[in-house]
Amino acid sequence: MSSYSELIKNFEKIRAYMREFYIYGFKSRDGYRSKSARSYDDERRRMESWLGDHMGFVRTPEGKNVFISIDSRSSQHNPFYKAWKSKSFTDGDITLHFILFDILCSPAVRCSVSELMRRMDEEYLSGFETPMLLDESTVRKKLEEYCGEGLLVREREGKRVLYRRADLVGLPAESDALDFFSEVAPCGVVGSFLLDRTGLHEDVFAFKHHYITGAMDSGVLAALFSAMRSKRAVTADNFSRGARRPGRVRLVPLRVLISVQSGRQHLLAYQPATNRIKSFRVDYLSDVKLEEPTPRFDELRAELDSMQSKMWGVNPGRGSRDGQLEHVEFTVRVGLDEAYIVRRLEREKRVGHVERLDAGTYRFTADVYDTTELVPWIRTFICRISELHFSNRTVEERFRSDLEEMYRLYGVGEGET
Amino acid sequence: MIFSELYSAYYNTVARILARLLEGDATEKELQELVAAHAFGESALTILPSLKSGKWQLMRPDLTTPITHPPTMPLTGLEKRWLKAISLDPRIRLFDLRLEGLEEVEPLFTQEDYLVYDRYGDGDPFADEGYIRRFRFLRAAIREHAPITAGIVNRNGREERFRCIPVRLEYSEKDDKFRLLTAGCRFFTTVNLARLTFCERYCGEHVIRPFRRAARYESVTLRITDERNALERCMLHFAHFEKRAERLERNRYLVHIRYDSDDELELVIRVLSFGPLVEVTEPERFRKLVRERLKRQKSCGAR
Repeated sequence: MSSYSELIKNFEKIRAYMREFYIYGFKSRDGYRSKSARSYDDERRRMESWLGDHMGFVRTPEGKNVFISIDSRSSQHNPFYKAWKSKSFTDGDITLHFILFDILCSPAVRCSVSELMRRMDEEYLSGFETPMLLDESTVRKKLEEYCGEGLLVREREGKRVLYRRADLVGLPAESDALDFFSEVAPCGVVGSFLLDRTGLHEDVFAFKHHYITGAMDSGVLAALFSAMRSKRAVTADNFSRGARRPGRVRLVPLRVLISVQSGRQHLLAYQPATNRIKSFRVDYLSDVKLEEPTPRFDELRAELDSMQSKMWGVNPGRGSRDGQLEHVEFTVRVGLDEAYIVRRLEREKRVGHVERLDAGTYRFTADVYDTTELVPWIRTFICRISELHFSNRTVEERFRSDLEEMYRLYGVGEGET
Repeated sequence: MIFSELYSAYYNTVARILARLLEGDATEKELQELVAAHAFGESALTILPSLKSGKWQLMRPDLTTPITHPPTMPLTGLEKRWLKAISLDPRIRLFDLRLEGLEEVEPLFTQEDYLVYDRYGDGDPFADEGYIRRFRFLRAAIREHAPITAGIVNRNGREERFRCIPVRLEYSEKDDKFRLLTAGCRFFTTVNLARLTFCERYCGEHVIRPFRRAARYESVTLRITDERNALERCMLHFAHFEKRAERLERNRYLVHIRYDSDDELELVIRVLSFGPLVEVTEPERFRKLVRERLKRQKSCGAR
């Protein structure tokens, strides 16, 4: 039986647990039926080790519920990045790492594998009681791995292959820029890696409306960006809602749509199997593998560009191919001292138009693929909506019946005004 | 690859330990403190024991090391690509960032590869020279805890001046705006940066005490009916608050949210956006705020 370690080999397992604990946090140990009890205990212990005070628990009749609770406004650095810094390694990996970079201490120092092997043995390992035995293939593999990561450069001198450090690219002197972009840019965890290389410094920034869950999807996101940069298709596991197991999908990633009002990230991608551009939740994707470049990338992205002026959110509907659009229109009353409502309409609308009907009435209109995506926003104007017309009658009826249900829930009676 | 030991807390901590050993006369207590500061809660059980036992052959029993240089590692390809990507962000102009050696590097992503689709449209003027100058000045002042004098245009279009100690620049991704959080000033505790007309060091004789009113927190309890995926939507939407959830019955859940009382009105409309699937159960005061809006809506008719 292997002993517990706070380091992990596979990020996917912890990704699922972190999500459960952070987003929901109401399941007891027995609620994680698909996982073994030991696995649950180990993952919970790891998260406690990484996240310390952010972990909490409550006792319920079903058992102890563990949850992660973070007021992201009071946290200057995304605590979930710690999970990305927990990759396991072997004793040989870490020993070799520090010795290699000590020998190859500047880009001017170049060594062959045999020279490195000799120096490692003579200058570093021989002083230990039982010197570590590193075979040549292990060292060669590590050197190639580091060349792939961009840390080392392989050069030929006649028949000899020499390795040296990559050329120096200095860390930004301004750690403030790293502090900021590590929290607000995609794959911000990479900025956090860079910050780990800098000294401690005082934080200047705080963040409001800050969603930190996306951190867990950084690996998937980086792979999708790499695919887009090289105009490649990908295959990935897609865990759709209601499905017991993920299905393998082949996609041409076109753009990632990020919400700063829910923290959700969607991939807009062309799916050859359905011949459509569709959206996929990034947190439902895993095991992304890059495939061959696709000659249709530019054409498909241009198609998405034209569709986006008709999308309120992430749903491209059936897209521009059948041109089905739904008309949305609502009117709000605005008091004399309520100019901020007009400003709200203007700044919060993503597509569509706002027009002034008279001094106290404004109308919003839009033609979109999916009316349901606007409904939550329209509801934020409850208390002043005087007219409402959707061409999608089903959605309009539901909006109205939901409103009736809200009156009932809050005891707003017929006779009241 | 993002998930790599190259970026691990253990490698980072060992690098710091080796650097300390090279300085000479390190004590085990100091090394333990480095582990506590840079690694995880239980790392003390692994890192020093592995070094001391020779499992990781980098430290001798007498707390010296065969390593001869303070450990450094070049930037990885991933790190360079990410730096190149952020150099393309319009907000980069706020920083005096010189990234040399990245000319040939492909960015990890460009502005074409992603879109923040629900950010409000009246974000701060990040390209405005005056704004950039004030932003940089305030960053330095925060770091130096230096008192400043600043001006702001009030609602009536008049300039008002105030003195304060700048504490933080708070960025809202939704609003795409920076706000200056201040101390030592009663009336201007949070100021939109874009509304500042000027800011400069305060050189007067008045002593500004760095008091700052502590945020007043309130809590609200929501009952969620898990239809139309409301549970997940709601939990994600309110994920950035301190919160706790419990299951009531088959598809009913309670969520307790702790929030800054200054953000109450915003929270009311966010709750409304979920319609009848999210109901405020307590406190009654918050419930009343929702009820009031519904009453007014009913009087609107909504034809």
